[in-house]
Amino acid sequence: MNILLYLLILVVGAFIGYKNLLKSSLLNKVGIMQNCALLFLLFIMGVKIGIDKEIVYSFGTIGVQGVVLAFFTIVFSILGVKSVSWMILKTEVKTENDH
Amino acid sequence: MTIKILVAVFIGIFTGFFMFPTDLLNHIDLLINFGLCLLLLFVGIDIGRQKDVFSKIKTMGLKILWVPIMIGIGSILGAMVGGLFLNIPYNEAGAIGAGFGWYSLSAIELSKHSSQLGTLAFVTNISREVIALACIPIVAKYIGKFEAIAPAGATAMDTTLPIISRSTDASVAIVSFITGVMLSSLVPILVPLMMAVNF
Repeated sequence: MNILLYLLILVVGAFIGYKNLLKSSLLNKVGIMQNCALLFLLFIMGVKIGIDKEIVYSFGTIGVQGVVLAFFTIVFSILGVKSVSWMILKTEVKTENDH
Repeated sequence: MTIKILVAVFIGIFTGFFMFPTDLLNHIDLLINFGLCLLLLFVGIDIGRQKDVFSKIKTMGLKILWVPIMIGIGSILGAMVGGLFLNIPYNEAGAIGAGFGWYSLSAIELSKHSSQLGTLAFVTNISREVIALACIPIVAKYIGKFEAIAPAGATAMDTTLPIISRSTDASVAIVSFITGVMLSSLVPILVPLMMAVNF
């Protein structure tokens, strides 16, 4: 359900951007608005983590294990994408040269 | 940006833990959804403004599916290697890795086996999300733009998408959304599957 909602919002945004429906003065402010909205969202996500005392306490006991596992999943994911990104970038460079 | 992201998250955690009024608890999800929708609208506007983005994606074609595939394999393998150091059985560590950062679902799924495993899945995947938020701008700058999707995992379609979009470009943002959708669909399949596997 959420996936469809996100997709719809992205498509509406893309339509607004594609058709230049926003005035350029407003568009210049989009970057700043985006940063403010992003930091606000991150703050609220933090609140959601902090408000659940059980999560915070469990960090005290198994936090290190969790961070170690998270670190390895991230590093191996980056290495995985690194091993194939040359292939995707090759086609992208080709497109840029075509233009 | 990384420092601002971490400061925002940690001030949030501090506020939530010590001073957030509990009667506002019910509104948190609503606030998160609203903030997320607003940010995704901005991401959409950025994508629409770059007119050549769809032709770029078209040329890259099915090759972009390598991104979620490699993130999937990397996450599971990485968790298994990490589990090796922590003396966690391969299949349990792999199942935690297969949560791809979607902490609520992976934790619920693994709580069926043991509450300890469920909690570890929760803590690991929430840590993954926080580390991803912080390191995406750095990975995008120093390693590569497609690699910047990797830390995000399943959250590449929602919570981390605005950061990926700001740190890279519109075509990577689209690949990121597709990656997030694919990985999110795989979580409910792969987590139980990993638990069923005996190494």
